[in-house]
Amino acid sequence: MDNYQDLKHTLSYLHSEINRIETMAGTLSTIEREHYNKLTSFDHREIMDIAVEEQNAARQLGTMKQMCLAMAEKIEGIKNAIDRGEIGESAKRAEIH
Amino acid sequence: MLKFIENMIRSAINTTVDKAITRAIRDQYTENLVEMIPATNKVGLTNLLEIAMRANQGSPVSRPLGSPIHLSPWEKILFNPVHLFRFPTQENVGIRTSITIGHRAKKPMTITIPIMIAAMSFGGALSKSTKIALAKAASAVGTATNTGEAGLMKEERDAAQLLIGQYNRGGWMNTPDKYKQLDAIEIQLGQGAQGSTYQRTTSKNIGEDFREVFQLKKGEDALIHSRLPGVNTKDDFINLVRELRDETGVPIGLKIAATHHLEKELQIAVESEVDFVTIDGAEGGTHGGSPTLQDDVGLPTLYAISRATEFFARKGVIRDINLLATGGLVTPGQMLKAIALGADGVYIGTAAIMALVSEQMVKSMPFEPPTSLVIYSAKMTDQLDIDQAVINLVRYLNACVLEMEQVAVSLGKTSLTDITKSDLCTIDPFLAKATGIQLGSVASEHQDRFFEETKPLFHTFEHQDEQPVNMN
Repeated sequence: MDNYQDLKHTLSYLHSEINRIETMAGTLSTIEREHYNKLTSFDHREIMDIAVEEQNAARQLGTMKQMCLAMAEKIEGIKNAIDRGEIGESAKRAEIH
Repeated sequence: MLKFIENMIRSAINTTVDKAITRAIRDQYTENLVEMIPATNKVGLTNLLEIAMRANQGSPVSRPLGSPIHLSPWEKILFNPVHLFRFPTQENVGIRTSITIGHRAKKPMTITIPIMIAAMSFGGALSKSTKIALAKAASAVGTATNTGEAGLMKEERDAAQLLIGQYNRGGWMNTPDKYKQLDAIEIQLGQGAQGSTYQRTTSKNIGEDFREVFQLKKGEDALIHSRLPGVNTKDDFINLVRELRDETGVPIGLKIAATHHLEKELQIAVESEVDFVTIDGAEGGTHGGSPTLQDDVGLPTLYAISRATEFFARKGVIRDINLLATGGLVTPGQMLKAIALGADGVYIGTAAIMALVSEQMVKSMPFEPPTSLVIYSAKMTDQLDIDQAVINLVRYLNACVLEMEQVAVSLGKTSLTDITKSDLCTIDPFLAKATGIQLGSVASEHQDRFFEETKPLFHTFEHQDEQPVNMN
């Protein structure tokens, strides 16, 4: 039983950290997008390429945000399954077999 | 002196042109060079040259990059901007561009933009440096690239953050040591430009690096069978999907050429519980294929997407099976229209290659085509600058997605995947009837009335199946 409590605590920790990463990714994505807008106002080839990189980074950070949300949802699902006793029971059944 | 030479040249040109025009008017039409003009108009310049090529070679012509015929009427569909009824998205709001492929898979694949690099194989189609450039550019923008019908090339695997591999009819990717290294598996049963026919690369066009990746013996041809080895029944296919899923946990998909038998094929895909289906429309490209397969076989991409989406919705699997569309999508507008019609993501091949060689085409022009820089068996592949190719493709993909984002803003959407059929209208009544897109020439509330009043025009088509068949 203690093992499941430990697992729940670990999952809670992961959940809160993923939520933090999600927020950070969202903030950084906004900053990168603003950089793109600023850099595109310069008529310089190399700066344009940096701007494009910033735009790609903004999108990838946006994607990270979505991935974090999906992972947080999965972790929440596992925590709920532990609370309902589904994971503990299936593990016990596996031990008996 | 210069003036004298100029006058001489002008005089010579004048005399020559006068004689040519006079001869064109006076000569009998059947003996006249001018007959080439109506003859070429009748047959078409491409067809004229392909007739001559067939006459010279005696074997099917291998035309690169797919059919030049525009079969999908993308230009007849338009997006509906909003102003007050619903407000446009504010400019400081980021548009979500990512999609996840394989929600049901143990390891779903999330890509940053809904555009992926299409299946173009190393060796059979492209050079090693081109494949590496495609993989690097895809990774830079956070999307996936596709191996095509090939073995697993280490350099491509290393360069690609996300690699979709084709479990193929040549059998070159079909062993666990290879497909377990992939991020998604696409079971390739056909392609838009080739249908489901066989293809052969003769040993004279196969170099040592090709043999190594494909594990071929010296002098052995690379043969793509018309059927996937080991899959001769529906159950064989269902079992294959199950095995690959259990072994790898990555999204498993099916790729087919679009066909009028689409729903029957998709029914089996649904039964096999694939994670995604890739439909390659008749406009799909290829490194080289017979013009008949390209121009006269398959179903246009636009109709294939619309029909597949409707089928998945009817079967209740629209959230479970991702639809990936490809085949002749060359502008960001076409790509976004494909998404609005129900595709989750699109593959681009021809456009990606053109973007990749864009600034470097001066190396081959005017004496060789730009494809000489990228095709495996071509003469100038060693001259492709990979870094420059990556920069150009990254810039192109960025520009495409930005243009798509601009449309999303104008539609009042915050995600590209939120754009649906209701954001479109069409100027073609038949297209409206076939796809369910509203007709732009009639107000939304009068759509039913319009089609009711014009029913006789559609009557012939609606009741075509009910007409008695003459059995004599």
